[in-house]
Amino acid sequence: MNDIVELNLSDPIIFKQWQEFLISLNINDFSANEVDKIDQTIGIFEGERLVATGSIAGNILKYIAVCNKGRESGTYFNTIISDLTMRLAQQNIFHLFVFTKPEYVESFKHVGFQAIAVSKQGAILESGDYLIQDYLNSIVKFSDNQSIAGIVMNANPFTLGHRYLIETAAKENDQVYVFVVNTDASLFSTSERTQLIEAGTADLDNVTVVNGSDYMVSFATFPAYFIKSQAEIVTYQTTLDALIFKNWIAKTLHIQTRYLGSEPHSETTNIYNQVLKDVLEPEVKVKIVDRKKVDQQIISARDVRENIRDNHLEKLSQLVPQSTINFISSNLSNLQQRIQKGMNIDGN
Amino acid sequence: MEIKHTAIAGTLESSDIQIMLSQGTNGIEINLESDVIKQFGDQIKQVITDVIKDYGIDNAKVKAVDKGALDCVIKARTITAVQRSIDATEPNWEVL
Amino acid sequence: MSDNEQRLRRTMMFVPGNNPAMLKDAGIYGADSVMFDLEDAVSLAEKDSARNLVYQALKTVDYGNTELVVRINGLDTEFYKDDVYAMVKAGIDVIRLPKTETADMIHELEAVVVEAEKKFGREVGSTNLMAAIESAKGVLNANEIAGASDRMIGIALSAEDYTTDMKTHRYPDGRELDFARNMILHAARANDIAAFDTVFTNMNDTEGFMRETEYIHQLGYDGKSLVNPRQIPMVNQVYAPTKKEIENARGVIHAIEEAKIKGSGVISMNGQMVDRPVVLRAQRVMNLAKASNLVDEEGNYIEE
Repeated sequence: MNDIVELNLSDPIIFKQWQEFLISLNINDFSANEVDKIDQTIGIFEGERLVATGSIAGNILKYIAVCNKGRESGTYFNTIISDLTMRLAQQNIFHLFVFTKPEYVESFKHVGFQAIAVSKQGAILESGDYLIQDYLNSIVKFSDNQSIAGIVMNANPFTLGHRYLIETAAKENDQVYVFVVNTDASLFSTSERTQLIEAGTADLDNVTVVNGSDYMVSFATFPAYFIKSQAEIVTYQTTLDALIFKNWIAKTLHIQTRYLGSEPHSETTNIYNQVLKDVLEPEVKVKIVDRKKVDQQIISARDVRENIRDNHLEKLSQLVPQSTINFISSNLSNLQQRIQKGMNIDGN
Repeated sequence: MEIKHTAIAGTLESSDIQIMLSQGTNGIEINLESDVIKQFGDQIKQVITDVIKDYGIDNAKVKAVDKGALDCVIKARTITAVQRSIDATEPNWEVL
Repeated sequence: MSDNEQRLRRTMMFVPGNNPAMLKDAGIYGADSVMFDLEDAVSLAEKDSARNLVYQALKTVDYGNTELVVRINGLDTEFYKDDVYAMVKAGIDVIRLPKTETADMIHELEAVVVEAEKKFGREVGSTNLMAAIESAKGVLNANEIAGASDRMIGIALSAEDYTTDMKTHRYPDGRELDFARNMILHAARANDIAAFDTVFTNMNDTEGFMRETEYIHQLGYDGKSLVNPRQIPMVNQVYAPTKKEIENARGVIHAIEEAKIKGSGVISMNGQMVDRPVVLRAQRVMNLAKASNLVDEEGNYIEE
């Protein structure tokens, strides 16, 4: 029996051996935003030769690679997945995700994973004690003879632009779900963002605010280490994101229309919006609403964050509702501290 | 007896079974993945159910990935998963 | 224990306690003893899992006449007492205590075994014990350890920890183990229990394995601890008696029967008196010959 060993990737010799093994199996992306997130890496050796490896990043398994030459296929694969699962279980992490090439979907299904989205370029699978079905079960549902819309937003923080988008959907539909992107990499935390959306839409009876959980995260966090060309990455990430929305979220909650704000300035968001159209339609209609403007200027959450940084609170009343102003005023020093500590405020 | 938190036992290696046990509300629900589910699926589920009932647990969600485990292995892994899920500090000599 | 004296212990195969595939098949390779390991082969997080698994395997898998041994976790661990209880409840033949250094450690173990035997309704005294010696102190106390209890059936050298304790490591010629091997063997013989040699882990060095096995056979060891079933036939080959030894043993057995028929208290062969050591050796040779499939149950040669 070959023992599992922990690979310390900060050791350049071990890193090189690990990297060469992965390259031999056609995994070529070792960029910092993929590799730096790794918490733990394990490997199996035959003599001096690395023959299998896998890594953990949060609750995501990545860089899984197995050389089956001269072995019963699947043996090392199962050993690696099994060991990583145990390691995460010891940290009380039971809900796992895998992003992988479509040809490995079957292998992961064999060890208890379910595919939640599969495209030509990649697939997302999950396994554990809380699956997408459980998530959807926890959300309030409306009967499908109503018109139901869905919006996914980060709202960092909630602006009059967000309000306008939701209001438009609320006028045109019987019910509107607002899903809050669940990625804590923004100036405002997920719970703060949720709170602000709820406060800013409290008067709209047909709006339901829902945490996006693990199923509506910033697609940019989807591991893409196995995607060959840099240009394909955004398409791969947005396609999976759109597939989850279509096949699970919209299907279960009877959402017929997805509302988006137009994005004249961001190339990535434009690609995203195009992919959403391609994937969701015709089953789910995509409606792009022109962004709300003040003095010819599109309202943007980034401007709000910059004003917070620069202490220009007087400018906020044009950009955000009173509820958001109240929150910012009472948490101003805290927010400014986060910016000083290096929280990036440039993103969307 | 109540399950306190999710727990896992067993591996995905040949002849083993991986059992994940978590809180449930709807009796003992078992989701089984096995190459021999047609031939032995009911039997495997029965062994798992018996152990959980021996502990006096009425509600549980079980996710089992079978790799050709014998009944005694299924029993052992289920016992370990239950023990872990209820934070047991010593073996239950009545169930063992 | 007469059964104990007769029992062959040429091979004691180690089986990791948390590996279902190996537990299931442990009985099929023809090892004289199988040792299920709850100690070094099992990670800390899996101690509970391995204990439950070995317990269930012992209760359900048919291991035939193989002697079943379990290596429990050390006296100083939190796992030890549950290990003993579970294994006694499962009806294990022998409990092997790792890192034994004193007779008191055996006494301490025995007390827990008695508790467990009473608790689970096993006959008190039915669980045998053996000690693994893994330190200089253990080697120097080997004699008192071997004689610490009537339950003791064997004493084993565990060279990995021992060589570390001795500030050396294992060498191909094994000279660093000479003193320990001889001490342990003498302790075993002086107390009429079995002596087991340490494992040989380099599976690719067949020649080295054979050399070491022949050496410990020559010293007088009962057998060797093994990590791989492929080593079993190699040990058995070394321990198989020669044709001449079997001829001689048959002669002795024949003489015993003659004496029985005649009702004579004295056994003689070729005009010479046959004393007890010769009789014992002859019985042992015939046992080995049977186990090696060289003779049948009646002691007749099996033709190739």
